[in-house]
Amino acid sequence: MVFGDPGEHRAYQNLVKAYQEKHEGAKVELIHIPSQADYRRRLGTDFAAGVPADVVLINYRRYAEFAARGVVEPLGPYLAKSTILKEADFYREAIEPFKYNGELYGIPQNLSSLVVFYNKKLFNEAGVPLPSNDWTWDEFLSAAKKLTRDTNDDGKPDLYGLGTEISLQRLIPFVWQAGAEIVDDPDKPTGLNHGDPNFRRAVQWMIDLRKIHQVIPSAVEEESEDSETRFQNGRTAMFLNSRRGVPTYREIKDFDWDVAPLPRDKEAVGILHADAYFMPKPAKNKDAIWKFIEFANSKEGQTIVAASGRTVPSLREVAESPAFLDPTQKPANSRVFLDTLPIMRAVPVNRNWVDMEGTATEELESGVYQGLSADEVIASLKRRTDGVLAK
Amino acid sequence: MKLARRDRDLLAYLAPLCIGLFLLYIGPAFASLALAFTHYDALSAPRWAGLENFQALPTDAVFLKAIGNTFWFLGIALPLKLILACALAMWLHRPRPFTGPTRAAIFLPSVIPDPAFALVVLWIFNPLYGPLNLILQQLGIQAPMWLADPVAAPWVFVILSLFQIGELFVVLMVARMEISGELYENAQLSGAGMWRQFVHVTLPILAPWLFMLGARDMMMSFQSTFSFAQIMTQGDPYYATMFIGLMIYEEAFDRFRFGLGSAMMVVTFLMCVLVLGAVRLGMKRWRYQVEI
Repeated sequence: MVFGDPGEHRAYQNLVKAYQEKHEGAKVELIHIPSQADYRRRLGTDFAAGVPADVVLINYRRYAEFAARGVVEPLGPYLAKSTILKEADFYREAIEPFKYNGELYGIPQNLSSLVVFYNKKLFNEAGVPLPSNDWTWDEFLSAAKKLTRDTNDDGKPDLYGLGTEISLQRLIPFVWQAGAEIVDDPDKPTGLNHGDPNFRRAVQWMIDLRKIHQVIPSAVEEESEDSETRFQNGRTAMFLNSRRGVPTYREIKDFDWDVAPLPRDKEAVGILHADAYFMPKPAKNKDAIWKFIEFANSKEGQTIVAASGRTVPSLREVAESPAFLDPTQKPANSRVFLDTLPIMRAVPVNRNWVDMEGTATEELESGVYQGLSADEVIASLKRRTDGVLAK
Repeated sequence: MKLARRDRDLLAYLAPLCIGLFLLYIGPAFASLALAFTHYDALSAPRWAGLENFQALPTDAVFLKAIGNTFWFLGIALPLKLILACALAMWLHRPRPFTGPTRAAIFLPSVIPDPAFALVVLWIFNPLYGPLNLILQQLGIQAPMWLADPVAAPWVFVILSLFQIGELFVVLMVARMEISGELYENAQLSGAGMWRQFVHVTLPILAPWLFMLGARDMMMSFQSTFSFAQIMTQGDPYYATMFIGLMIYEEAFDRFRFGLGSAMMVVTFLMCVLVLGAVRLGMKRWRYQVEI
């Protein structure tokens, strides 16, 4: 059972086809649920009913609940015995977040950092130099300002410099870059680290993107046409997303685009996005199921999925191969995803993370779009998310 | 006692419905009543919680907001729907030019599946590119930003509910058709005009219908916002369209707190019963007065 856009779906169909061709008589049924939120609900009810799919793909922010309840099989022992996969062949950054209490539960399929997708045509038209691999918040902001333009003189911008979803997930890398931790205690988190002045600075930075600089669309504009669509239609110059946008953006015909790392502040930090295959405990025929997980994460399997553009392969060998770095495929600067690995950080694995993240996002969204002050936003974060992670 | 053949046949016909009703509605209803007193995450067995879930509810700001939103919606949408359906039924109960197509036009939106209707509403109410605001702008009217505006967003739900009055309209129209013409002739002879005829003849006769329809619609309203909220807003902007149905769903299926979700359901159910009781009492008084 997997999630994702139509482009991602095709990649999994190819994976299943290849597996069935290789293993005579093997039958794999692919269940595809587009949205991650619906996917999680389906997963929960399937587990409750005792009939989860045999292999499930879960993001590292979302699996702790299942591991804590002991409803997914630890896969460490399987990996140790495997003749095809070796833990050392994977990027360490991808493997570590899938360990819960020291036990490996998921075999990571990918690892991506958050990057800036940018429209080269709009940069050239506005005479803005293309992003460097080491740009700063100020350079990023000044580019965004120059790229936000009113082309028909009606007093409202028609082209926006920047587009992003306003969420905790998007704020986190900026908090790290500002020099603050995201949670109060990385080992035993109880809530967000909102007391840190650098945390506040990152919140302020996100609010100002709309309130002061107006380089991102307003709530009304975002409601009318979301930033991702705006980017695809060539009316937003930069859009923040992980690797998952690539299959969709490859269908863009009207302009050339590429990727750049996030801008840096005190520090250059990226945020990990990773999904892994898990094996639910109730599954029968576990050896056959492991065979499929093994294949999906083998050099061959990861090459197939990487070809869709969806993933940054978690196997070093595949990530460094043309399957991922193919110079004829966009984005030309795919190396960015690999170069930023050493500075990438992961959020804590915590059972209540999704819950806390949802609430914090509501507060951030309303703060940014209503132009509240950083203090007001932090007060509401404090009021609504303190202690949630400790439950 | 031996059942007559006809009764046995009837029972056989009814069985599939009864089994379905029990398995899919009555059973789960009692199950969630029990779950309301537990902590249950669907991944491990429920743990007894006593009244903890219920005690947590009054301090849950989002739950209170959802309750407030739901009753706000009920208080505005329900009377408007009944009045509109009633007015249309009075207008269209006898043949006039274009009665057929007009009746069909009123009924049709009620049979469109919710998700399809929701997507159309999203497009129509799009604050910048939707046809509604483009027209309002042409007319020089300051157009609301609809779903992007916390004040206007719940009104979108009210407006769309006014397009779902097909059943109310049909039932009231038929009820009006059933009223004997003699009553109106008598009233006319005593010098009653159109309005007094409506108040003293039509309304008292339609009252039980209005009550039945209103009660049913009220119970439906607790749920009917769900698919629209889920598809159009997910409760945004900032919980302005967080209705109780969506809240229960998110609490249970999104945050895996089935116990708390069930407790919310129980509370909602009790409130529903209370309101219904109050309306019923009010109705009795009113009918008593009218009969005098």
